[in-house]
Amino acid sequence: MSDVVETFRQDAEDAVRIVSGLLRRGEGGEAFRERRRRVSWTATEAGLLAPAFAEERGTAVRLRRGRDSLLIARDGDGPEALREAVREASRRGGGSPFLKSRGLERARAETEVPRGDEQERAAQLGAALHRALPDPRGISLMLRVASVTVSRAVVTARELVTCGTVRRLEAAGLLRRAHTARPFAFQTSAPWAPALDALARALADAARPVPAHRAAEGPVDVVFSPGAASVFWHEAVGHPLEAGWGERGSVLTRVPRAAVAPPGVFVTADPTRGDLPGHYLADDEGTPARPVALLTDGCVDGLVTDRRAAGGASNGHARCGDFRRPPRPRLSNLVVSPGRASREELLEACGNGLYVREISAGHADPESGRFTLFVESADLVRRGALGAPLGPFVLTSDVLTALRHLHAESGDVTHPASGLGLCVKGGEGVAVGGASPAILIRGLTAVRGRS
Amino acid sequence: MRAGTDDLLERLLAGARCDTAAGESAEAYERRGTSIEIVEDAEGSRLSVVTERGFALRLFRSGRTAFAASVPEAVDGLPDAARLLLGRSRTRRGVRAAGPVVGGGACTLAPPPAPDEKSARELLASFRSDLLAAGEGAVSLTEAILTTGARTERVATTAGRDVVFGSGTTTLVATVTGRTGAGSVSARFLASAARPGELPLARLAHHAVDRVLLPLRGRPLAPARGDLLLDPNVAAPVVGRLASAFFGDDGDALLASRTRDGRDAFAAPLFSLVDDAAVPGGPVKATHDGEGTPHARTVLVSRGIAAGRLSDAAAAVRLEQPPTGNAVRRAYTEPPAIGITNLFVDPSAGVPPLDLLRALARGFYAAVLLSRPEVDLPGDRFRLHAAGYWIEKGRATEAVSETLVEGRLSEFLRSISAVGDDLRFVPSGTGSAGAPTLFVPKWKGA
Repeated sequence: MSDVVETFRQDAEDAVRIVSGLLRRGEGGEAFRERRRRVSWTATEAGLLAPAFAEERGTAVRLRRGRDSLLIARDGDGPEALREAVREASRRGGGSPFLKSRGLERARAETEVPRGDEQERAAQLGAALHRALPDPRGISLMLRVASVTVSRAVVTARELVTCGTVRRLEAAGLLRRAHTARPFAFQTSAPWAPALDALARALADAARPVPAHRAAEGPVDVVFSPGAASVFWHEAVGHPLEAGWGERGSVLTRVPRAAVAPPGVFVTADPTRGDLPGHYLADDEGTPARPVALLTDGCVDGLVTDRRAAGGASNGHARCGDFRRPPRPRLSNLVVSPGRASREELLEACGNGLYVREISAGHADPESGRFTLFVESADLVRRGALGAPLGPFVLTSDVLTALRHLHAESGDVTHPASGLGLCVKGGEGVAVGGASPAILIRGLTAVRGRS
Repeated sequence: MRAGTDDLLERLLAGARCDTAAGESAEAYERRGTSIEIVEDAEGSRLSVVTERGFALRLFRSGRTAFAASVPEAVDGLPDAARLLLGRSRTRRGVRAAGPVVGGGACTLAPPPAPDEKSARELLASFRSDLLAAGEGAVSLTEAILTTGARTERVATTAGRDVVFGSGTTTLVATVTGRTGAGSVSARFLASAARPGELPLARLAHHAVDRVLLPLRGRPLAPARGDLLLDPNVAAPVVGRLASAFFGDDGDALLASRTRDGRDAFAAPLFSLVDDAAVPGGPVKATHDGEGTPHARTVLVSRGIAAGRLSDAAAAVRLEQPPTGNAVRRAYTEPPAIGITNLFVDPSAGVPPLDLLRALARGFYAAVLLSRPEVDLPGDRFRLHAAGYWIEKGRATEAVSETLVEGRLSEFLRSISAVGDDLRFVPSGTGSAGAPTLFVPKWKGA
């Protein structure tokens, strides 16, 4: 896939001319090219089943006129696909596109067949699963593990902009023991070998027997591990600060510049972090990626936008799940500044409460500010020390209350979150990442979860 | 060559160069799809028109299988891709290309008909109007996404199968906001049908209004012992979560543990669970599955006793039964896997839901789910976060903003003492799940 972006560039001049010929006065728009390659395996406790290879190629032409937009998408990412999409967009949009080609025609594209080392990679994956589950007796595993590579480019009326090529290893599925089942989700942008090591560690952790202890229901002080804290920031701050929540906005956009968290808290949406899965060079409208401060020194600062919400002032967060859907303001990587406290100091400050290691899912209602986090792995905290491990439970609160009760000091190191994978909004998933220090929030509500 | 047809599928199957003497076989798949999506929100309207064609190949050899998929322009590379992956997969009995089916022999795949944008827009306008009328000024539609499309598919194998079929689907995703003096709540919900005209808009509007206003108008209810009445909108998602116990032979251990190897009933005697792609009112309407096998009506639980399994071609061989036609392809880029079509509780023994309400002496009527139901089959537990009404002597005495209904799943299923005749479906997994109103007397956790 390394040369896919170069392939996209082969007809750049023609493509730009075609797109600029499509647009009329008062219209904005662009074309979008995507190639997605996925090699996947079904991992069971007995080994790898059903290897699969899939390569998707797509082209979309998007027109914006006033508050309305039109997207025409079709399979193929070559010049002919672009011309056909432009013709259809013109037919529906009432324009007369300039389609004359200078004769540059890409050669018929071939499937990039998996390389010979794909077998070696499968063997390495099998070995990693064996390291994670050296004795799989009593465990039933059903995971889809995939190596995904996505290349994208946007053709505007002026230039062809490369969004970049993103590679990630992702795994999702179910892990069963005799009387329990737990979901497992993992993703990383690390290179292959370290990615497999990280997957093996995460799977080994997940395969531990589910503790019988349950969290007591009611108000509780909670220390979040760096990985779990990333999920909290994503749900509680990230989503409410995406543009596009309508005239009333969200619980956070309704209080611009307000101090909602303690001083010293800086939260940034940063797609330029190449080590995190939400990385890109330009967003899916061709706007260069750039960090956007969401909370600055505890105050609501900015929100992530696209061209529809902000016009030319878009800050490069227009994202789409694939070429079939129009881009909309979405999160990328949420990066939180570290504090100065060690984990032990946070536990000491917590006193009696919970230490959350892993959150498997979460959701937030930006209107009311209510959020829910599904905790998969946690420990009791008693007198400032870790106690018994706990079974799954649920944490809820509302965004403003939780941020108000955020402990002033946070952990001294940030870690990338491995459990933060696809963020699904309106049925459309985009890869996101996060890096956060450990945090302490007082007064969340624990509710018993899955047994 | 006719317009819209070519020989790419034949080329793909021939390119697999199967050595039948060595036990090799192949299956080629083609899908054509067209859909429109209309998004209406506070910032305007967005229209997306998608036209797609894709191919997939599965190679089989001695119980091994490998899959490869691509767009038409890259179809020639698929045999090599699949063959390269084939060597690393584990073997499993029954994995081979499927043979001919009745009604096969079709040879060309025409593009599906284009969806009608005008009627889709009218449908959205109608839903908005129904919602605003039902909400009486307290509810607004924040965002509505209507997707409607059709697809045609063809499956051909080296074992002689060659079948063409088509289907359609329409989905409505709405984000609804309710506001009262007590605050505001927004919620997103999803409905689907085979065709736009089959979406029950007025009923969806009323359900959406309940979903956002009940949490604002009622009072929380602490779990207490009482009768329990589950609206179809609450019961159907729970039914959908039972499906995995019936997926081929993979669910055998799970089902055995839930029924003590068949010595116990799975559910109450009036509970029958069926999967049927042709049931009236079912959102999925299709003639064949993703392997080209004709869909069948499959009874999974008959009068409370586990009686059947859903299968694809391979699982059917292992189960030594005819395939039920439940190999589902979510996309041409994914290999088929066992899934549901319309999975539902048979309402033929049902009574009008108002009769069930009148029979409720003292208990909770769960009208809407406030979050995804937790159903843990291995752990035999379930938990519903719901809103509704407290009922005494068949009459609603108080709105309930939220409560938890939880307990042992097996006990809940075996305690169902009556079902309604009001079967309704909700999207679930690869298809839809349906249930009528369910009545459970004296439940300890409601």
